[in-house]
Amino acid sequence: MIDWGLVANIAGGGFGLTILVLAILSLVAWIVGLVIRKTTKEREGSSSEDNK
Amino acid sequence: MFGLYESAFGALQPGNILMFLIAGLLIYLGIAKKMEPVLLVPIGIGIFMVNLPLGGLMTYTPEGFPVEAGTLSELIKSIGEGKIGLLNVLYTYGIESEVIPLLIFLGVGAMTDFAPTIARPISFLFGAAAQVGVFIVFLIAHLSGMFTINEAACVGIIGGSDGPPTVYLTAALAPRLLGPITLVAYAYMALVPIIQPPIIKLLTTKKERAIYMEPQVRQVRRLELILFPIVIFIAAALLVPKSVPLIGMFMFGNLLKASGVTDRLAQSAGGVFIDVLTFLLGITVGALMPASVFLRPQTLAIIGLAVVAFICSTAGGLLAAKFANLFLKKKINPMIGAAGVSAVPMSARVVQKMGQEANPRNFLLMHAMGPNMAGAVATSVVAGIFLGMLM
Repeated sequence: MIDWGLVANIAGGGFGLTILVLAILSLVAWIVGLVIRKTTKEREGSSSEDNK
Repeated sequence: MFGLYESAFGALQPGNILMFLIAGLLIYLGIAKKMEPVLLVPIGIGIFMVNLPLGGLMTYTPEGFPVEAGTLSELIKSIGEGKIGLLNVLYTYGIESEVIPLLIFLGVGAMTDFAPTIARPISFLFGAAAQVGVFIVFLIAHLSGMFTINEAACVGIIGGSDGPPTVYLTAALAPRLLGPITLVAYAYMALVPIIQPPIIKLLTTKKERAIYMEPQVRQVRRLELILFPIVIFIAAALLVPKSVPLIGMFMFGNLLKASGVTDRLAQSAGGVFIDVLTFLLGITVGALMPASVFLRPQTLAIIGLAVVAFICSTAGGLLAAKFANLFLKKKINPMIGAAGVSAVPMSARVVQKMGQEANPRNFLLMHAMGPNMAGAVATSVVAGIFLGMLM
């Protein structure tokens, strides 16, 4: 017999969870990229001022 | 036939002969058409091996499961007594233990360049949307009454179009279907250039397909490449603990490449190492297809449902990219969403080819590789979610 509740929970909940997890991973990747780019730019900026 | 000697002719069944034809077709497609040859040729050979009666390379329980090799002392005794064959050993220690699919994923990671995904993190959402086919087919498969809930999950994950997670999940949840599911998954991955274009054309206008994107994605720093596999692994492991084996090996392999200090390891993992493992996977999967197991209505259903899964996943990724365009100032070509179906790199190549047909100035390959790689991560996450819910 088909357990409709369980099937709906796995299909709907599973897909929703997939979207949520990947959205969080997307956010994490974006933040890491942003921080690295900013810190690298600052470092490059300060080293070019030192050279002056 | 000759006194004590027994040939195999008397034991041949019509089903065996049909399986020879299937094996012959796979070997033909692998060699003549160059369709996934590293996998289809050994699968074909494996099918031949187990459908030649009395060979004893693989023995099965009456239910069609391979006999397990057992402990080392039992193993030696069982081989000596002819109770199990070489392929039972490969199955127990390589597939059932899930060692081979995980090590293959390590090799895949070592060959993967995440720079396009890092450059456009929204790619993860396209990869996620492209998993919709997995869940739709899971529903259809289970509601059809032909598959248990565990088996339906394994049929559905074919839509993720990623080999190692498919094998890993099926070995855990529905080992009896491992042969047909793996065969269908890899065969359809090779057919992506045929399956995807009509769906993409149906869901996009020529104007949308012609949307121009700068050829280069942004420059990704080395530190980003190194931190990406570590951070994504930790985040995914905390969010979906059951995906740790898959994502862990995938990201570990990628770190070998991205670090830039273990080049020899990365080259080995992505070279001979993965080829040998794929060969072992292929021959063992082929050995899971004796006529009695393969020639069932379920196999035909898997072949049909896999097409539905690929179609829905392609549509899911593409529609997600179209939806994103509603909010983006600089429009993206929606076709890159279809590359969220992670048949690496076939689906990205399809997008590149169709992009150039619509607008010869377009060079979408690197843009499509982002969702392509994100799709591989997404399929691993889905496998972890299924395992978390069903085990």
